[in-house]
Amino acid sequence: MSIGPSRPPAHGRVRVASPRSQVHRATSGVSVSQEVAEQTAVGEVMVRSLIRSQLRLALVVSAGFIASMLLCWIAVRWVPAVADWRIMGIPAPWIVLGVGVYPIIVACAWLYVRAATKNEAAYRDLVDEK
Amino acid sequence: MNPAIGYSALILVSLTTTIIGFYGLRISRTTSDFYVASRTVRPWWNASAIGGEYLSAASFLGIAGLIVVSGIDALWFPIGYTAGYLMLLFFVAAPLRRSGAYTIPDFAQARLESTTARSITSLLVVVVGWFYIVPQLHGAALTIRTTTGLPSWVGAGVVVVIVCLTVVTGGMRSITFVQAFQFWLKLTALAVPAVFMLLVVTGDPDAAPAVPAAVELFPPADPFTGGSTYQTLSLMIALLFGTLGLPHVLVRFYTNPDGTAARRTTLIVLGLLSVFYLFPTIYGVLGRAYLPELAAAGYPDATVLLLPGRLIGGVGGDMLSALVVAGAFAAFLSTTSGLVVSLAGVISQDVMGGSVRGFRIAAVFAAVVPFGVAMMTDSLALAGSVGLVFAFTASTICPLLLLGIWWRGLTDAGAIAGMLTGGVLCGTAILAGAQIGADSPWRDMLTQPAAWTVPAAFLVTIIVSKATPHRRSSTVARFMSKLHVPERPLAVDNPRK
Repeated sequence: MSIGPSRPPAHGRVRVASPRSQVHRATSGVSVSQEVAEQTAVGEVMVRSLIRSQLRLALVVSAGFIASMLLCWIAVRWVPAVADWRIMGIPAPWIVLGVGVYPIIVACAWLYVRAATKNEAAYRDLVDEK
Repeated sequence: MNPAIGYSALILVSLTTTIIGFYGLRISRTTSDFYVASRTVRPWWNASAIGGEYLSAASFLGIAGLIVVSGIDALWFPIGYTAGYLMLLFFVAAPLRRSGAYTIPDFAQARLESTTARSITSLLVVVVGWFYIVPQLHGAALTIRTTTGLPSWVGAGVVVVIVCLTVVTGGMRSITFVQAFQFWLKLTALAVPAVFMLLVVTGDPDAAPAVPAAVELFPPADPFTGGSTYQTLSLMIALLFGTLGLPHVLVRFYTNPDGTAARRTTLIVLGLLSVFYLFPTIYGVLGRAYLPELAAAGYPDATVLLLPGRLIGGVGGDMLSALVVAGAFAAFLSTTSGLVVSLAGVISQDVMGGSVRGFRIAAVFAAVVPFGVAMMTDSLALAGSVGLVFAFTASTICPLLLLGIWWRGLTDAGAIAGMLTGGVLCGTAILAGAQIGADSPWRDMLTQPAAWTVPAAFLVTIIVSKATPHRRSSTVARFMSKLHVPERPLAVDNPRK
């Protein structure tokens, strides 16, 4: 749906143009209390603390994930007992890296989604109380 | 292989793709429909579509080929591809959806309030997209050559034509349906033959083809060297941080109704990817046993295509082969069309004013250029060349997104300096790495550059931003709360409705 920018406005009309940003301004779905929260000093503090808690959560879960990957890597590379262990004829390192890693990934994701949603619910409660 | 198998698989996939593409056409009416499917795609649909788009030639053919060549070390590739989504979930998914931007350049402009930053981001997105499409076309060329004996350009040409047709006629809405279908096609195409092959191999020892005696099925990792440790580490950095910045992955998140849905979608995607990546490993291990000559001939990436025919004879083998070839084509088509949609979105908004007509012209342009590049270059190992694209995005777009979402201090000057530093360092390393001799001490550093180019890009971004605090966007506080504050659930008691 192009809004023919080259066509001159009809006589007597004023063209109302938006800035060249394509960014959709999502205003619907934002409650009054939320807008108040964003524009006051207290609201600013609350938003900052929400961002900080979400960032802390993301960093903690990703650090846990990276640590578990390092553990897998060390076990597979440097622990001879793991390297020589066979389960139904398949060496344990192949099972760890080919299968075992994926449940860890999904578990980390699930934990994160739960905690992040909880953080947001806590923020929402705080704003609505005000 | 019987050429009829290749032809029938190709026709089957092309037909279903275009039919679903046209079915979706009826619902796509406005510009917003065209770009992001009006943001009303359900999480399961969307997750299947993301999986369908993400699983490219590198996943479908490349991983098994790499296992045939280098054994257990290749398993880090699928782990990295999946874990990249984990990082995307942690740091990007929900805030980016809430940003309300259609594309990464939109995000850059809204966050930094700078049209220069927008232009540079657009340029990088287009470069990344083109270099990601090239390996898909190489994969298509390889598949057509192996299965029908036709010249390479036919395979790549067919992919480009089908993608242009579906994208130009339907936009993103039909792409979503096509992608979701293609995920399940790809999964079936790997899983069903894998089950049959495992039954044959583990069943009656007389019926199974003999394993050549000299092959070790599960070779242990190569002896420890500093080089291999660096390679694995650098690869993981590239894959973990590269996924965040892939243009076709990001545009998908805008089709979620809100930030919470974006997170739920990513969780489902991780489940789908985890199931999918069990199968390339099976193909790789069986390929080591039954098709070791492919690696010697220089075509290890054809392992997946030829294995079912080798292990299972007769009509059953032919049908399973056709299924695998169909799955491979679905992989090339879905990744290429996802990339073409996102590139067309960027090009048409920045050059052609964002109309539907401009989108169509841009889509054709976005697909034809990589076709030319693919025809002029030789196919590298698919998994490896896609890995380099991840290294490049990790060093350019990833710092912009991560710091833009989480750090108020990011300025336009810092973002531009960081993207240029990362782009120049990583681009030079990739070009130099392709020329350098096998015994050079710099080889590891240049062929897996992410371990030093990604920190360099972050460092430059932060230092320059710190040095230019007066250039901070005036609306940063408002934008940050938009990114992180949860949307109102669609409640009936909302006073503004």
